Amino acid sequence: MDLAIYRRRKLVNRIGLTLSMGAMALGLIVLLWILVVLFKNGFSAIDWAMFTESTPAPGSEGGGLANAIVGSLLMVVVTALVSTPIGIFPGVYLAEYGDQSKTASLTRFVTDIMLSAPSIVLGLFVYAVMVAQMKHFSGWAGTMALSLIAIPVVVRTTENMLRLVPGGLREAAFGLGAPRWKVATFVTLRAARAGVMTGLLLALARISGETAPLLFTALNNQFFSTNMNAPMANLPVVIFQFAMSPYDNWVRLAGGGALLITLTVLVLNIIARVFFRDQGSR
Amino acid sequence: MNTSPSAPASASSQVQAVARRQRLEDSLFHLITWLFSMLVLLALLGIIASLFITAWPALSKFGSEFIWRVEWDIVNEEFGAAIAIFGTVISAAIALLIAVPLSFGIALFLTENCPVTLRRPLGTAIELLAAVPSIIYGMFGLFIFAPLFAQYGQPALQSTLGQMPIIGHLFGGAMNGIGILAAGIVLAFMILPFIAAVMRDVFEIVPPVLRESAYGLGCTTWEVVRYIVLPYTQKGVIGGVMLGLGRALGETMAVTFVIGNSQRITGSLFSPGSSIASTLANEFGEAADLHMSALFALGLLLFAITFVVLALAKLLIARGEKAKGTKT
Amino acid sequence: MTKGRADLIELSVMNTSNTLTPSGVANAIEVRNLDFFYGTFKGLKGINLDIAEHKVTAFIGPSGCGKSTLLRTLNRMYSLYPGQRAEGQIKLYGNNVLDAKQDLNLLRAQVGMVFQKPTPFPMSIYDNIAFGVKLYENLSRSEMDDRVEWALSKAAIWGEVKDKLGQSGLSLSGGQQQRLCIARTVAVKPKVILLDEPTSALDPISTAKVEELVSELKNDYTVAIVTHNMQQAARVSDYTAYMYLGELIEFGHTEQIFMKPARQETEDYITGRFG
Repeated sequence: MDLAIYRRRKLVNRIGLTLSMGAMALGLIVLLWILVVLFKNGFSAIDWAMFTESTPAPGSEGGGLANAIVGSLLMVVVTALVSTPIGIFPGVYLAEYGDQSKTASLTRFVTDIMLSAPSIVLGLFVYAVMVAQMKHFSGWAGTMALSLIAIPVVVRTTENMLRLVPGGLREAAFGLGAPRWKVATFVTLRAARAGVMTGLLLALARISGETAPLLFTALNNQFFSTNMNAPMANLPVVIFQFAMSPYDNWVRLAGGGALLITLTVLVLNIIARVFFRDQGSR
Repeated sequence: MNTSPSAPASASSQVQAVARRQRLEDSLFHLITWLFSMLVLLALLGIIASLFITAWPALSKFGSEFIWRVEWDIVNEEFGAAIAIFGTVISAAIALLIAVPLSFGIALFLTENCPVTLRRPLGTAIELLAAVPSIIYGMFGLFIFAPLFAQYGQPALQSTLGQMPIIGHLFGGAMNGIGILAAGIVLAFMILPFIAAVMRDVFEIVPPVLRESAYGLGCTTWEVVRYIVLPYTQKGVIGGVMLGLGRALGETMAVTFVIGNSQRITGSLFSPGSSIASTLANEFGEAADLHMSALFALGLLLFAITFVVLALAKLLIARGEKAKGTKT
Repeated sequence: MTKGRADLIELSVMNTSNTLTPSGVANAIEVRNLDFFYGTFKGLKGINLDIAEHKVTAFIGPSGCGKSTLLRTLNRMYSLYPGQRAEGQIKLYGNNVLDAKQDLNLLRAQVGMVFQKPTPFPMSIYDNIAFGVKLYENLSRSEMDDRVEWALSKAAIWGEVKDKLGQSGLSLSGGQQQRLCIARTVAVKPKVILLDEPTSALDPISTAKVEELVSELKNDYTVAIVTHNMQQAARVSDYTAYMYLGELIEFGHTEQIFMKPARQETEDYITGRFG
């Protein structure tokens, strides 16, 4: 009777392990499938024209994604410039003074909420306060929406990375008589800079693929423009518009754009990881 | 806020001047970082406020009935959130039902069964799945998954589960590859990498002695993970699942492509529906006045739902820690 | 011992030949020419010794001498980690457990282990004990209740927990947790119990209680204990093995090792000249 129990247990174990391997295989298959499809459909669209010509009007031939690429780049760069200080400073505050103050626990809680807030809701908010007020869509509004998504990520990773810095390092600096702000910036932040950079890169990777918030803020622009104060072309919205359209060249361009975005995001992620591994584990 | 101790009596006036300046700098530093934190706080308050204000016309017209009204008539300006909430919640639930067991399997594999050299690359591969933008998932869902689902998946489901007494209705109706179930499946693969990565991370930090204790009694690998590792890492696992749920509830692009965007509730999972996010994405462009206000009301509701999920997660985690009786 | 467990042991033993030591005591475990490798590093070199049945055998030596490594070969715990391997023979009642065909789960059901750090499972006290038993035996509710009580009494902790069996194992103090782990190991009625520095994380009172336990346990089980505390070895064990840098320097009756060690190295360690 006892051996029967053991045999059953062994069977359950065998089944469980096989299923888990199956789950892993399924995940890998889906990843590979997506990548293969992306490459197949997008590769044919990648040519010089895609980077030099702007999006074509409905019904017209050819065209490219130049305005969308530039628009996305612009907005991501400005978002990076904006979110870095606005994200790092609260992160430093939470790590340095976080155990003593009520504001800190509140901030942490709020960051949690914003981290889990759907990006489309953040887009609505920016619409209400910027677009509706200014009576037009704009690149600035898009940037603001993207920043609202990126900042909580930066705050959270900055705080976590700073907390990982060994207490002994900070104490050594204090022991020399250094003022608190110098310890926080020149010692702790510097020690954690690899992790903080990783957080930034990951935040950027995340926003590069965001579509929903841009729908309500930057919208789209058929023409080439670097005017942040007007609707701004961007890859995700262009893809959204073109993918389900009846025009062949639109669908082709959507595939190319999709490949471009995915590659960018994947590369950013890989850089972030490699960077962290090389720099952080010193 | 004293940061430097009082200088010894014999310190030169120069050192004292430096100390004074440093105290000032420290106060300034504290103030600046505090201000930026307040900024984050204010941002959240601003979000809630502005959403509320814009949603007010719809909310005041329909009152709390708005939440369960099954009505979305743009022409006659009759709006209710029930259809969208239904789609949102059901598709997210389906996604969790599929993603959580799969994630558990992946985490188990990566921590127990996988050859050591493959662990890092395979783990990274799963994490990269998380990096793929949601719009890609949406397109993949619509152009690749939906046709296959219509041709193979849905008929298979309808001929097996669809024939059973009570749940049979869920799998009835036209089979065109899109709809609530399809949206749930696409969502599942979107949130899978998040949950799997979190589970893998918390499984990895289980103390080896605990594992060895279980093996030492003669447990099989499955039993060690199922009965020892999983309860031990309960807090992290719940957090990961909630993270996935939050994403599933708020996800726009992956769902919009596949859910069918119809403003009705029917009894079948094969039929098209709407989620809050997909409604917003589709109708925002043309909306005005009360319609716009109703959309904002939906957005506010979605925000509230994700907030509740977050609060529940924290509660569950706190409760779980207490039940385990962790004593420091 | 339940009938079921006897069946198990018979099934996993291929031939039952016990070598008898001169004093006529049967050997539970016989180690022959054991080498152990962490990758390319040789952690154990040519170990030969016998662990007598129903006796306590202690392993002492300075840090890094290989005593824990040796203990972990006895229940093939090292097999969890690729890159660690053992060569030679370890015979449990005549059956070589290093054989590739050896079923590891069954082995560990017969050779239990208690670790340096108390490791209560994240479940109630009752379930902690019942968990291991349920793996191999099908007991009714009342039989399980009896077994739980028996195991907790054997570990001298029954009185302290009998009114809170439903509480989490983690709610106990350190010393109690360790006795819980001992109860858990005892509950499945193994043939051999391995103790890896079981008291080094405990306060003196708990340590004394555990040492009392060890002396009692040998009536029913074979005990092997690793300890860095020489006095503890002298107190509880019948046989002692002194190890240094992966080699077995000397092995014999505890009295003889501590009173009249045969090797100079042993004497140096015993008298505290190093280590």
